[in-house]
Amino acid sequence: MTRADYCVVLFAALLLPYLYITQWTGNESGITASIMSGSSTTQLSLAHDHTVEVAGTLGTSVIKIEGGKIRFVTAPCLGKQCIHSGWLQHAGEFAACLPNRISIAVLGETPRFDSINF
Amino acid sequence: MSEHANNSADSTTIKTTPDDHLVAWLAALAITIHIIESVLPSPLPGVKPGLANVITIAVFILYGWRTAVWVSMLRVLVGSILIGTFLSPTFMLSFSGAIASLAVLWLASHLPGAGLGPIGLCLVAAMAHMFGQFYTAYLLFIPHDGLFKLLPLLMTAAVIFGIISGIIVRSMLHHLGKRHGQEK
Repeated sequence: MTRADYCVVLFAALLLPYLYITQWTGNESGITASIMSGSSTTQLSLAHDHTVEVAGTLGTSVIKIEGGKIRFVTAPCLGKQCIHSGWLQHAGEFAACLPNRISIAVLGETPRFDSINF
Repeated sequence: MSEHANNSADSTTIKTTPDDHLVAWLAALAITIHIIESVLPSPLPGVKPGLANVITIAVFILYGWRTAVWVSMLRVLVGSILIGTFLSPTFMLSFSGAIASLAVLWLASHLPGAGLGPIGLCLVAAMAHMFGQFYTAYLLFIPHDGLFKLLPLLMTAAVIFGIISGIIVRSMLHHLGKRHGQEK
C-alpha cells in the first residue's frame, strides 16, 4: 500500500459516514402542511408523527400525521368527504371539510399547480 | 487452406498487431467474468461485485491506461450484446460507470510520486463507477430525490467490493510476478 492508497481508503472511510448522515437523517422539514380552520392557518412539519385536534365550526376534527403523510381521521360532518380524501403526501395535495370549515394543504419547496385548464 | 484464405482475403484482411491480440484476450476474459456475474442475484439494483473490473485494473497497471480503455469498453459493449441488454438502461448504467472509472484512472495515472497501488486504484475506480452510474440513473431514469436515499448503501457496497477486488488484483499481480521470476 502506497501513501496515496491510504489517502484513498481514508477518503472512502470519511465519505461513507458523510453520505449516511446527509442522506439518511431527516431533513424533510421542507415538506409541511398548512391547516386552515376558519380564518386561522397553522403550519406543521410532516417529519414527526403526531395527531392534532382542530376546532371547527361544527366540532373537533382529528388530523393525523404519520410517515410524512397527513389525513383527516375523524370529523363531525355528515358527508365525511375529508376522511375519504385519504392520505395526502405530495406538495399541492389538498383535502377539505367544508361543513367544519377546515382544510389541509401539503406544501413543498416548489408549489405545483393543482390543476391546469385550457 | 491457409494459402486459399490468404488469396481470397487479400483485400479484406486486417493486419493485427500483438497489441490487438493482447487486448482481445484480456477483453474476452473480462467479458466472461462480466457475463458470469450478470447471472448472480443482486440484493439491490446496481450492487454487483464488479469482478470484471479486476481485469481492467490489472490491465491498467500492467499495460497502461489506453489498453485499459480498450478492454473496458469492449467488455461493456460485447458483454451487453451477449447478455442482450445493449442500449438498455442496464447498458447505459454499465457504460457510464465504465467511463467514470476510466476518467478517474486517467487522473490516477497522472499522480505524482509512487501513485496508487492496486487497492487504491480499485477503490477509486469502484467509487467512480458507482457515482457515474448513480448520476446517470438519476438524470435519465429516476429523476427523483428519493433515489439519493440509496446512495449511502450503494457506495458502501462499492467501497467493500472495491477493496476486495483490489486485494484480488494485488495477489494476481503477485502471482504473475512470481511466475515471470521463475521463467527467468
